[in-house]
Amino acid sequence: MSQNLATVVRTAPQHDLMNELNFFLKGATKKETCNPIDLAKSSLILLKSLPPTKTAVFEYFCEVFDNAVKCYIQGIETEIKTGKLPPPSETDELIVSDIHTVLSSLIADNPVAWAPTISTWSLELLGEISSKYSGRAHFSTNLNETLQLWMACRSTRTLVDINTKCLSSLIYSDTEACISALLDTSIKHSPHFDWVVAHVGSCFPNTVITRVLSCGLKDFSQNKSYEQCCNSPKLKSVVGILGHLAGSHAEDIRKAVLDIYVWSLRETLEDTDLQRLQKKATVPYILQLVFLSPKLLSSLCKDIKSFLTIDAVCRLYYYVGDWYKYFGTPEALEEQVTTLILHCDIGGFEIINILLECILTDKIKGSNEVKNDIKEKAKDLLMQVLQEMEESIRHGSAVSLINSFPKELPELIKMLLRPESIVQKTAFQIVLFLGNINTATLVTVVQNLLKTSTNDSHLVLLLRILTSDLVDKTVYSEKGGHLSLALEQILNRNIQKFCTSNEENSDLSQMWNNLYKLLQWEKSGKVALLNSKIITRSLEANLPNLTSLLSNEVLHMHIIADILDSMEIPQPISSYNPPVGVILNLTQSTVNYFFACCKDEGTAMKLKGLMKANKILKRLCTYSKFAKVLALREFLERALFQSDNVLFGARKNDMNNEIEKMLLKQNKKINKTIPLTKHSTVFNGGIIGTGKRKSLCFDELPFNTIAENTSHLLNAIKSCCVLPEESKYNDISLDSMTLLSLLLVQFVSPDLMYNGLPWPDEDFSKVTMERDLFIRRMFSNTPLLWELLSFVAVYRPAICYCSVLIRALTATLIHQWKSMGEQSKDDDSENYKNLMETTIKVIDVMALGQLLPPPLSSIRDIIPVLKCYEIVAILKECIWCYMRDHIPSPALFGCDTNGVHWRDPINARPSEIYTNTLRIIMQRNVKMLGHMYAQMFINIPQHDS
Amino acid sequence: MSTEVNLKQGLRKLEYPICAKEALYKIYDLICSRITSIKNMDLALDLMAEFVFYEVDRRGHKRAQSLSPLQELQLVKILYEYFDTLTSESGRNTVFLSLFSGTTINSRLGVLTKFISMGIGIPSTKILSSASAWMQQLGNTSPNSCKFAEGLIQDYFHFYVSSTEKITALPEISLEFTANFLTAIAENYYNTSNKKTTTLPPSKFIFPPQKLLETVTLWISQNTSLCIAAQQKQAVLPPGAIAMEATTPIAGLLKWCILAPIYRQDSKEYTDLHLALLNSIMEIPKSTPPKAVCAQHLTSSINPILTFVNDLKNKQEKKFSEIINEDALQLSLDRFAQAIQVIASVNAMYGHTDDLYHQIKILPFNKLMNIIQNNYKNKVVVL
Repeated sequence: MSQNLATVVRTAPQHDLMNELNFFLKGATKKETCNPIDLAKSSLILLKSLPPTKTAVFEYFCEVFDNAVKCYIQGIETEIKTGKLPPPSETDELIVSDIHTVLSSLIADNPVAWAPTISTWSLELLGEISSKYSGRAHFSTNLNETLQLWMACRSTRTLVDINTKCLSSLIYSDTEACISALLDTSIKHSPHFDWVVAHVGSCFPNTVITRVLSCGLKDFSQNKSYEQCCNSPKLKSVVGILGHLAGSHAEDIRKAVLDIYVWSLRETLEDTDLQRLQKKATVPYILQLVFLSPKLLSSLCKDIKSFLTIDAVCRLYYYVGDWYKYFGTPEALEEQVTTLILHCDIGGFEIINILLECILTDKIKGSNEVKNDIKEKAKDLLMQVLQEMEESIRHGSAVSLINSFPKELPELIKMLLRPESIVQKTAFQIVLFLGNINTATLVTVVQNLLKTSTNDSHLVLLLRILTSDLVDKTVYSEKGGHLSLALEQILNRNIQKFCTSNEENSDLSQMWNNLYKLLQWEKSGKVALLNSKIITRSLEANLPNLTSLLSNEVLHMHIIADILDSMEIPQPISSYNPPVGVILNLTQSTVNYFFACCKDEGTAMKLKGLMKANKILKRLCTYSKFAKVLALREFLERALFQSDNVLFGARKNDMNNEIEKMLLKQNKKINKTIPLTKHSTVFNGGIIGTGKRKSLCFDELPFNTIAENTSHLLNAIKSCCVLPEESKYNDISLDSMTLLSLLLVQFVSPDLMYNGLPWPDEDFSKVTMERDLFIRRMFSNTPLLWELLSFVAVYRPAICYCSVLIRALTATLIHQWKSMGEQSKDDDSENYKNLMETTIKVIDVMALGQLLPPPLSSIRDIIPVLKCYEIVAILKECIWCYMRDHIPSPALFGCDTNGVHWRDPINARPSEIYTNTLRIIMQRNVKMLGHMYAQMFINIPQHDS
Repeated sequence: MSTEVNLKQGLRKLEYPICAKEALYKIYDLICSRITSIKNMDLALDLMAEFVFYEVDRRGHKRAQSLSPLQELQLVKILYEYFDTLTSESGRNTVFLSLFSGTTINSRLGVLTKFISMGIGIPSTKILSSASAWMQQLGNTSPNSCKFAEGLIQDYFHFYVSSTEKITALPEISLEFTANFLTAIAENYYNTSNKKTTTLPPSKFIFPPQKLLETVTLWISQNTSLCIAAQQKQAVLPPGAIAMEATTPIAGLLKWCILAPIYRQDSKEYTDLHLALLNSIMEIPKSTPPKAVCAQHLTSSINPILTFVNDLKNKQEKKFSEIINEDALQLSLDRFAQAIQVIASVNAMYGHTDDLYHQIKILPFNKLMNIIQNNYKNKVVVL
């Protein structure tokens, strides 16, 4: 190029240049028509060799390009009308291309000088052309369409290309002039010029963004007043350009804005006054920018905490005074900041956090005045923001700030639990706002609070959330409200977890404690917030789950029992009628809980638990018969037959579970180990039965424990059988005792037959001996049965229904005493002792139940001194025969005015047939039994009448 | 009165650029006639404003639209042709000076710059010597002259760096113009008091572009009489005008050479330029009183040197001994001392010489400078 130029100069003597100039001026001013190509050539020669012609030549270029564009537009319009596109003017194409070549080489040769000039010129021309033809052809407002249309035009494309060349040639030195021109043109010709901005911006995103920002800042910092700031066209143009680029270069923009922000915070000694002014204006500038462009705002808010730190706040504090002039008044600044915060749809949580940090931190350096100032301002701002948010929510048009919170919910919940009240309060309000928009959020919050609250203030917060007027309480009304739903979710998750993994990941003890505490608050009636019985209602709604949990949640059973106990299901004065499912569940669970308590080693908890269980059962069984049946059945079944029976002294008699080995297999095995002769026919005969009985060793519980457990169990059973209303003499319902008694028969007797009340002839016991023995074994293995029998016996006449059991026991006793033969009682064998003990027990029960009237009822006291055959005789002739002839049925018992059933021992004295044997035997042993004889046969009480 | 109206009416019938041409002839008639009156002078000024520069309309109101670049170029071409063909030097200078008088130059500087630029591009000795006279009359270091020079530099050293033939040949076309031009250029750089430097990045404008430096060096080394050319040949001025003495570029350019080392401008040209300048000074013919170099102009180099020393002391925290031995500083002082020495030897200094010698005492120690001071003292004592 330089050589080219040199040759042109050398070969163009003075007059030639003058001629060229004349020719150009004539042509360009249209004094004479001339060949446009020659004119262009001449103009290019002048441009290259005669400096003063520069501006004039550029003006002429403007016209050339404008003409070319006009042709292009007309072409398109013709196409729209006729459907045919006229060919582009070749002359125009040629000229434009010539100009392009020359300008490109000028830029390439000396970018520092030419690029800013040419760039400015090309941008201005583009602006003018864009504006001028904006209404023509089918230019629309759509940026992409416009861009395509213009890029299809040779002239505008050339101009854009030239401009791009200018920028790229300066990219490492100084693009400020070019970008400033871009801004200026954009101000003048927006929106028609936007396509150029978009194009340039997408070619040099970083340069354009940083430059546009710094040009804008330079202009902004010169503003003297608020009005100037508002109406600054340059600022609007900056926003427009950044707006275009925000779509594809949001990250770059964010970085660039952050860069100038960081730059503004760094004050150095080398700063000129101008720089200092700019640094002070940076934050207002950014605020103004984001105020005008929501896109920019949201892209800036993305990671706000990385640059808006306490440190930064402290540093900015000293700038604030200089900011007012850009906003008019301090109030206006505050208002704008508030508005901006309200419009952040991301990063809101960080903003709130920074405000809170400002209020709470001690890290602020500087005097107390500074600290207080910052704290107060932050507080004001926070209150303002919260208030505005609340208002917007109440008016049903939530501000965008709220959208930034849902994904920070876990953090907000953590904030609710923080000790600082302002943090709590803020989080509380935000949570309410969120809950107002999306009720599910509220449920989550409530869940979390319920699970994690550790002190009363948290629970108060929870109540205030639940009862806030911002919360729409009708949403989950069919499910019982938010709390109920939250509880349901917790329980569901928990139950599932329990079922699937069988291990507890989340510790729910806090939750249960909280729930219990809330319930107690409600019960106390002192908490006004709870007057609506919200806790009870939620619990009631969740009873099906809650009740089943009692038996599963081993870790928390006590507290759950507390809750269920406090709820007093079913409540006598309540509209709530628990469904049958709940009742049955609760019954079942309470029984389970009872056994769990029995197993528990703790004492206080255990006793309390047992009491709770009794209370619950009492309520349930008086309310519902199902419950009673179920409870009794469960108690008996578990205490007698399931593993729990060990608690009550039952002996484990696991039948050997070993799978019987096949004889054939055993033989095969033995054949292999013992080499036999070829024709051997010796086989192993196998083991008969289960082989030799192994002596079973029991790990029995200590006697005390068993006794205690038994008494607990009886208490529990008693609780199941109580009468609904207290009576003076009798608190147990006879029906229930009958039920219990029948249940005993059902459980103990292995047969359906012969379970009736009457006692047959003693001989008939040969038929029933097998089952009698079975019953007997039950009794000896399960000591609890004796206790139960005695218990039943006390509440006459229920024992009558157990007649079959007593009969079976008696039959086996007679048989055993018979076979005991003449072994003297001195033979102090275990067998004898057991037999004696059992006999006494049976007779005791019969006496207790008034099945045996005196003197038969006293037999227990005399038999220990008798001989076996004597015992057999008494059992047979006195007891059995009496029983055979006096069917033990409730009819034997009279009912007095107090509702107590009993048999008058005076009236019911047996006839002599049944006592003679006894008398004779006693007389025979009168040496030892004298005192008894008197008591039994001589001093017989008589009715006074 | 009637002639005046007729004249204007006649011109108004013509279209713009043509009327400018006609107006120029009328103006010549009005101000170069034997008898000139204030009235004629005023009429000429009116014609210039309305018909030549298109500044006011027929009622004398300022026009909203100024000339477009094309129209401006047309005007420049008309001015060129007019002055290039005018034979009388006195007439040329008279019209030139009234077209671009001190009161109107502000608005016409753009046209003037383009006009002279054209005079360089299409070389015209006549035009350039008129321009030289103009500079001299306005003061060749006056702000307007400097601005004008800056415009030319933009054209020939900024945009058209590759076509140097014409600008290199400038002294051949008009030696006086080149001299005056140089004085103005020298004023534009290394000038911290210049207002421009505060608004623009200092690095760019405080130093001359490399091309300019090369050209200046070339000019002066090729022609030792260039520097004093403007003083040698007095322009023919309109009758009654007081001829102004031209300032030589020597002091200004010496300042470049003296300050270059401390601003870390170590281009080889500074050495050459310094040498060429010293040679030029040697060639200065004796004149009484001396008029080539003003002592105050030399003094202006002292402050930047002191600032530099202070900066070293404060910012880089150097010890005084280190500063003294700084190569750049010593080179700068050497050049300064040499210049004073040579100027003194040809006795070309005027103004407050005592003041200069007094002030150089506060400069850091330099052997040559010391000698000069002692010589001067002795001379004074002898006197």
